[in-house]
Amino acid sequence: MARLSIDDLKKIREDAKRTLTLRSGEARAKVTIHMGTCGISAGARDVMGALLKAIEDLKVTDVIVTTSGCAGLCSREPMATVEIAGQAPVKYADLKPESIVRVLKDHVLEGKIVTEYALASGCETTG
Amino acid sequence: MKTIKIKIDDIETEAEDRTPILSIAQKLGIKIPTLCHHPLLEPYGVCRICTVEVRSGKRVRMVTACNYPATNGIEVLTNSPRVKRDRRLILEWIMARCGHVKVIEDLAAEYGITEPRFGRGDDDCILCGLCVRVCSDVVGANVLGFFNRGATREVSTAYGETSDKCIACGSCAFVCPTGAIQIENDSALVREALPLGPLTPIHVPFLQAVPHQPVIDRDSCIHFKTGGCKVCEKVCEVKAVNHAQEDVVENIEVGAVILATGFQQFDAKRVSEYGYGVYPNVLTGLEFEKMNSASGPTGGQIMLQNGQAPKSVGIIHCVGSRDERNNKYCSRVCCMYALKFAHLIKEKTGADVYNFYIDMRCFGKGYEEFYHRLLEEDVRFIRGRAAAITDFPFNEQEVGKLIIRVEDTLIGQVRRIPVDMAILATGLEPAADATDVAHTFNISCGGGFFTERHPKLAPVSTPTDGIFIAGTCQGPKDIPDTVAQAGAAASAVQSLISRGEIEVESATSVVDAEKCSGCRICNTLCSLSAITFDEEKKVTVINDVLCKGCGTCAAACPSSAILARHFTDEQLFSEIEGVLYDVRA
Amino acid sequence: MAFRTHVLVCAGTGCVSGNSYATATALETEIFKKGLAQEVQIIRTGCQGFCAEGPIVIVQPDGVFYCGVKAKDAPFLVEEHLVKGRPVKKLMYTPPETKGPIPALKEIPFFAKQKLVVLRNRGVIDPEKIDDYIAVDGYTAIEKALFQMTPEQILSEIKRSGLRGRGGGGFPAGVKWETCRHAAQHRGVEPVIVCNADEGDPGAFMDRSIIESDPHSVIEGMIIGARAIGCREGFVYIRREYPIARERLLKALEQARDYGLLGTNILGSGMDFDIEIVQGAGAFVCGESTALMASLEGNVGEPRAKYIHTVEYGYKNRPTNLNNVETWANVPLIINRGAHWFSSMGTGSVSDNPWNGSSGTKVFSMVGKINNTGLIEVPMGISLREIIFDIGGGIPGGRKFKAVQTGGPSGGCLPESHLDMPVDFDSLTEAGSMMGSGGMIVMDDQTCMVDVARYFIAFLTEESCGKCSPCREGLRTSLDVLDRITQGKGAPSDIELLQEIAEVMQDCCLCALGTSAPNPVLSTLRYFKDEYDAHIKEHRCPGGVCKELIEYIIDPDKCDGCHACVRGCSVQAITGDVKKTHTLDKAKCIKCGACIEACKRDAVQKVPRSYAA
Repeated sequence: MARLSIDDLKKIREDAKRTLTLRSGEARAKVTIHMGTCGISAGARDVMGALLKAIEDLKVTDVIVTTSGCAGLCSREPMATVEIAGQAPVKYADLKPESIVRVLKDHVLEGKIVTEYALASGCETTG
Repeated sequence: MKTIKIKIDDIETEAEDRTPILSIAQKLGIKIPTLCHHPLLEPYGVCRICTVEVRSGKRVRMVTACNYPATNGIEVLTNSPRVKRDRRLILEWIMARCGHVKVIEDLAAEYGITEPRFGRGDDDCILCGLCVRVCSDVVGANVLGFFNRGATREVSTAYGETSDKCIACGSCAFVCPTGAIQIENDSALVREALPLGPLTPIHVPFLQAVPHQPVIDRDSCIHFKTGGCKVCEKVCEVKAVNHAQEDVVENIEVGAVILATGFQQFDAKRVSEYGYGVYPNVLTGLEFEKMNSASGPTGGQIMLQNGQAPKSVGIIHCVGSRDERNNKYCSRVCCMYALKFAHLIKEKTGADVYNFYIDMRCFGKGYEEFYHRLLEEDVRFIRGRAAAITDFPFNEQEVGKLIIRVEDTLIGQVRRIPVDMAILATGLEPAADATDVAHTFNISCGGGFFTERHPKLAPVSTPTDGIFIAGTCQGPKDIPDTVAQAGAAASAVQSLISRGEIEVESATSVVDAEKCSGCRICNTLCSLSAITFDEEKKVTVINDVLCKGCGTCAAACPSSAILARHFTDEQLFSEIEGVLYDVRA
Repeated sequence: MAFRTHVLVCAGTGCVSGNSYATATALETEIFKKGLAQEVQIIRTGCQGFCAEGPIVIVQPDGVFYCGVKAKDAPFLVEEHLVKGRPVKKLMYTPPETKGPIPALKEIPFFAKQKLVVLRNRGVIDPEKIDDYIAVDGYTAIEKALFQMTPEQILSEIKRSGLRGRGGGGFPAGVKWETCRHAAQHRGVEPVIVCNADEGDPGAFMDRSIIESDPHSVIEGMIIGARAIGCREGFVYIRREYPIARERLLKALEQARDYGLLGTNILGSGMDFDIEIVQGAGAFVCGESTALMASLEGNVGEPRAKYIHTVEYGYKNRPTNLNNVETWANVPLIINRGAHWFSSMGTGSVSDNPWNGSSGTKVFSMVGKINNTGLIEVPMGISLREIIFDIGGGIPGGRKFKAVQTGGPSGGCLPESHLDMPVDFDSLTEAGSMMGSGGMIVMDDQTCMVDVARYFIAFLTEESCGKCSPCREGLRTSLDVLDRITQGKGAPSDIELLQEIAEVMQDCCLCALGTSAPNPVLSTLRYFKDEYDAHIKEHRCPGGVCKELIEYIIDPDKCDGCHACVRGCSVQAITGDVKKTHTLDKAKCIKCGACIEACKRDAVQKVPRSYAA
């Protein structure tokens, strides 16, 4: 496969930034399921499965579903982060397959944060 | 390499940079205890008993002396209170595992430990790793290793099974400080490989060897098996060891040869009824001789395999000799040495001795008198060829004994004599390669023993001129006779040499080189090795000195190239004419 | 010109009809008045979607979502949020059925008090997509390191940052790298770098999380290290018990190779470097550097004496630089943002001497009796109290804090009196514990400190390689003593015995597993001697843990006969009729605790064992 030069790397960076921060307009929302070992052992894979099925059933097309590593608060896994374009991300905790479906319907599709499961909104402090 | 200055126990000294503290201390005569250290192996540093205190500026460190590299300016304390405290607890710990091992107990006593606080364990392996390391680093067999972790760590072979990579060199047992490793001997195997006791592969063959120097036995030397070891080379200060030495073939031209190639012992296994190699404590004559020798494996003590002295011994004469199935001849020496054994056994152990004989052949000077002396020493003589030795007891007295079954022909009864040890007076046989030797030197061989020119008048010469024989290769005989023959053969050769000129047969044959076609038919015919073939000129040559003029070659030559001197056709016709002179007219 | 804040005012039709233009103008006026025009930008954006609650204003990068913002709210909003940094609660979205609004992450102490450096990408990127990492400015540091810096400059930067080994030793990484490079040049032998991902401490999972969440940060760090030290080979030694982390790292390596970021001629710089993953086989001792290298070579993982350093003679006798996962993960940021940025976090002053403090942040795994169990990253120098009570949320069940154990089996327990201690390498070591790899186990008053010491000694007894006699036998005999004490059979001389064993092990053991093994015992003896005394002299376990010293009883005043405990008991030790007080047969009781969990009335109690006949 291609071996990159610095300029190639820069180009990838520009493209990838857009997708990552939802500024490209291709998707309206992004749901990140946290898949560290803590999440997986608490059932994150089932949560993921339920989400993907719900998206299929409801024929949703403008939502990115992705995974990431452990969010840090291992005792509250499974956790997910929901980002609507232009809004602060919201972290959900103690999720089950049923609850993620509700989050999809209420928050992602209708914009109402599901407070029972919501932990907090915003981004962490980086150094 | 850099030289550094350090101080050990208030003694200032110099050394090469990074030398382990232990080496420096040893050179100064300072004693630091070690358990897992061995001069032939890399330092391992696991027993930790060689811990010493090292000060460098303000920094104090406790380190192991065996592998800590000394640096400039350090101060070492080998016996400070802290060191002693540490060593004491380490010893208590080792005793908690191996509480009854002598070397540990001795060391513990030096440090004043009488009641180890963690008790005394029953193990005998202190996990020093010397056996593992010698097997992998020196011997190169890699048979031993450590298994399991932590407190369950142990030394073993792979899967705990006997390894076929083990060459039974005994190095592990040799380096083990506690005696936890023992070599198990399969006694029959040992007897076959090493008569009466093991030798190291490098050894002086026997006390009377000339030159009195060690030789390496290639078959048992570790280096030739694994490519490792060579410890002997490392320790030899004059660098005399050389594993790469090969046999050198030298060509020496001589005018006379004395063959004194000796005999071999009759293999007692061939009389299987005596159980040699099957029962313990059945010995051949040579084995007993070796045991009895003060320079032998037991230092001259007569003992059974279990180390105890025998209470009764049976000596069987004519083993393999005077035997229709084996050798029909009498080996001449066995009766006398059997009597000698009887006397020695009586003297050394006071055991009951039984000699089982057919005839008592005591032909020499003082021999018959010696036999009579034994009669008075209460040696029992039973006339009868021993039929068998068995260990199957018929009654309580026979349990654990070897029972010799024999027909005592003087009283006409079959007897069972239980003994602790049986000695088979094995006879003499020609050496295994006697016929090959005879063939090489073109002499004849009767039943393996070389044939002398005349059994009475020329016992040391052979029909082949210049080849002489002496000793047991000519026939079984004892030492005085051998010595006599040796002297005779030497004289014969001496007279050949000192004569300066010798008379040779005049009626020899000669080859006419022009007529010789090089067919070589005659080459194989000469029984005196007088005919050789000249490869360059492609003709046969007859050695005048060796030729005795028998005429065989002359008769066989198809080209009539060989002239038998004094027997030419012309000469023969002239003789015939001479004889018929009166008749002719 | 870079604005520090963007204020996004929705100008979609819905909000415009709600007069969002006026809001935007009012905000602009206020910002200009407050002199923030250079720092804050107002952007009129398209429809945000939540039209019912408009006008919508979003403040980025804070991520605060305001709704129904009128022009008259502008002054207050600008003053509070943009000037003072205090988001305005009353303007935030309040779902009708709940009382309070969803807090921002920054308001939750668990998140607020952390400072993510190594973990900055957690929860943000997909670790299995290299493009995500690149998007968050990943692989920009190697550009700098490979093309704009010499190896010596990289070494100098790392040294001045004061980065100290995050695996437990706390040795300055820059100094180690430099020594390795010089040893390699002096000996003429090519060096090798290794990443220690063996992480054997019970309760520690920092390295696992770093690799699972952001494997490329480690890879990038190692590439930079390879340039600084001058080597072409790198290894990651990862413990067998981390299959997911290993999978992710394998994928990351593949993707990096595909992009030419590993292999030959990286990015056209002429530098060759690649990384191989080697798995452990389940031995704690293989986290020790010489044992790790022995295992890496394919030999049994046993340590050797460290009188000859591994930076000179290590893996296959080559100069070897070994660093922990977290240490490597810090490197790209130090290169990107500079040593000064890194050393401005933490304690002490390290620019001239990295031993003079602890710079940067540290990742800790917080486990045990703590409400917010999880993984945190905090600047060095934060107090234990803040970590445990603010970030950790305190002790569950309202119980009392007793001790915190740091540094795994090589570390020690610190009591309440040390809660205000700053967390850094030297303070922890002075107090009798150590930073270790970052495991932090919180204990409450129902923990027995003697049992804690016993637990660690039991762990080490299993994990000791057994090569040297002081460790092998010292741990075994210590365990015997501690077993005796926890079973109520301790003798007064046992304390001295433990102390003696500890001192000799510290003097004589071959490797750091052995020399640090006495630490849990020594620190508990130092701070909790009263518990040892209680066990030995009074046969009492203050924490109520040691089974031989406690018994279970049913308080007749509290028991209402609900029978829940009977159902939970697996040995039928409890008897009683429903609605009548139950009784517990001490002879049968195995003290498993099932009844205590089942009882809703708190009627089952653990009390000191009575020795009456």
